[in-house]
Amino acid sequence: MSEAMSHKRPILLNTLIYVFIILWVILAAVPFLWTVWGSFKVEADFFSRESWWNAIFGTSTVRQTGEAFTGSGYYGAWITRDFWRAAFNTVIVTICVTAISLTLGTLGGYALARSGRNYSFWILIAALVFRAMPHITLVSGYLLPFFQLNIWGVLPTSIIVLVAINQPFTLWMLHSFFLSIPKDLDESAMVDGCTRFQAFRMVIMPVMWPGLVTTGLFSFLLGYNDFAVTAMLLSADNQTMVPKISSFLGSIQESGNVMFAVAAVVSATLPLFILVLVFQRQIVSGLTAGAVKG
Amino acid sequence: MAQIRLKNVSKRWNKLVGVDNFNLDIADQEFLVLLGPSGCGKTTTMRMIAGLEEITEGEIWIGDRLVNKLEPKDRDISMVFQSYGLYPNMTVYENIRFPLKVRKIPQDQHHDRVMKAAAMVELEPFLERRPAALSGGQRQRVALARAIVREPNAFLMDEPLSNLDAKLRVSTRAQIKNLHHALKTTTIYVTHDQIEAMTLADRVVVMNKGVVQQVGTPMEIYDRPANTFVASFIGSPAMNLVSGQIANGIFTSEGIRIEGLSHATTGPVTLGFRAEDASLADSKGQIEAPIYSVELLGEATMLSVRVAGELVSIKVGKEYRAEIGDLARIAIPAAACHLFDQSNGARIEA
Repeated sequence: MSEAMSHKRPILLNTLIYVFIILWVILAAVPFLWTVWGSFKVEADFFSRESWWNAIFGTSTVRQTGEAFTGSGYYGAWITRDFWRAAFNTVIVTICVTAISLTLGTLGGYALARSGRNYSFWILIAALVFRAMPHITLVSGYLLPFFQLNIWGVLPTSIIVLVAINQPFTLWMLHSFFLSIPKDLDESAMVDGCTRFQAFRMVIMPVMWPGLVTTGLFSFLLGYNDFAVTAMLLSADNQTMVPKISSFLGSIQESGNVMFAVAAVVSATLPLFILVLVFQRQIVSGLTAGAVKG
Repeated sequence: MAQIRLKNVSKRWNKLVGVDNFNLDIADQEFLVLLGPSGCGKTTTMRMIAGLEEITEGEIWIGDRLVNKLEPKDRDISMVFQSYGLYPNMTVYENIRFPLKVRKIPQDQHHDRVMKAAAMVELEPFLERRPAALSGGQRQRVALARAIVREPNAFLMDEPLSNLDAKLRVSTRAQIKNLHHALKTTTIYVTHDQIEAMTLADRVVVMNKGVVQQVGTPMEIYDRPANTFVASFIGSPAMNLVSGQIANGIFTSEGIRIEGLSHATTGPVTLGFRAEDASLADSKGQIEAPIYSVELLGEATMLSVRVAGELVSIKVGKEYRAEIGDLARIAIPAAACHLFDQSNGARIEA
């Protein structure tokens, strides 16, 4: 069918379409590819004032290191400036945020989806309000109590705050996934001899995987990409990757090393690519269709 | 195996009444059909028996246990849902086995019992498939097998045939009838299809707007409807109802006059008679009216005439031919007539 259509399309239009697509792909991909390429150069090349061609040919890189590519940015970030520690912290934060959000979200979403009460609607509306709030409003309110309770700067505190920010979203998302699973399934499980919780665990959860993966990925991304919360609530030793990258750029007091930041950015992006590639089928089916066909 | 008793059972959602003061004793091994139009409370009644719906008022007894506060799993009943309610991630075999598994029935019995249940509904070739790979009829049979696999106190069936096509509905209906004969388990069956009710039931409960209209065997309900609602709900076509006056055993209305009825009542009444009880009259009939329409059914011909503002259907022989507008003379034997009170629709006994 699509073949038949393309035959009918005038050549000019076809050319335009392809030119547009190619341009779009270039626009979308080049900044990242440029960063990956540049991360293996020295600062004098990647941020060259003479000519941007230096970034491609690596003139200064050859002069300084003897080779066209250098891993010095990566070495500096990961080893000298302890980026591995930030990566490790990020792993802890994202895993905890995702696990806690999904646990509370599935239980709460299921309860809200199956409850016929009026207040479940208002709980969801309240959740939506909190979801709409800028993250930074939560953080500024938390700062003082956290100092006084002496729990500022450690990972668990940020994990709790991130879960609080993320929970309304997971609740909404999982709630609508649960709604798409017919009530008859729980009910036949309960008549067959399950308690409410057994029905949830043995019958409903096995058909919820696409919804769980999709929601889990969004929770993961929130924890992974967060700057507002982690920058404000974590001490320098406990920083996750994103605030760490920002600190590489330097501040008024100290000069940063931009190449460390570039290398760290590339390092931080790579796992995301792998993650999306691995889960792409579940994500698409989770985003487009309900978990169960009727 | 158990009898089920409902005592003054009511279900209300705030002011909305779902089921109003339902009283019934269901005998052990009985096949009871709850029949009524959608929204009449029949499914709610069944769900209260299953424990899926809370009981606002009254008592439900299964066997000698009061089950009001029991969870569905503790009531030892099994249920077949209209939408099958099969577990999509399990094979047919696992679906049928599920009740045995969650009820911790010894492992060594599982295989035999699953195979026996599957054999009863002829599912053996499909045991390794998943529900998505089955047709509607096969899915409903899986649901049936899952219900019978653990020999519960009672089966509850919630419109199990309404998602099936007409042909399959007839064969599955026969299968359900046969299963009940073989297992002799108390069965409560909800339907809005009066043919299913007539063919399957030992007793039928006709409901409307949450209120029981009549309880009786299919023949009682057909032959002696308790009120105009039952009369107009049961039978295909429904009973003809004509309003008019009765005096000295003679019912009269525009275009109709029937003699020899009960002398007990005088005044306005509704007269009912079934299409198949009427016939063509040789000379003077009880109804004389122009023909409104003639419909060929194959095994018979359905003739409609307008009497006292109502369309009245008469079943005549399949060879009958007439033009619309011709005068029809129709004989209605007085013995086949039912009288109903016009104010509340209740049957007036002769």
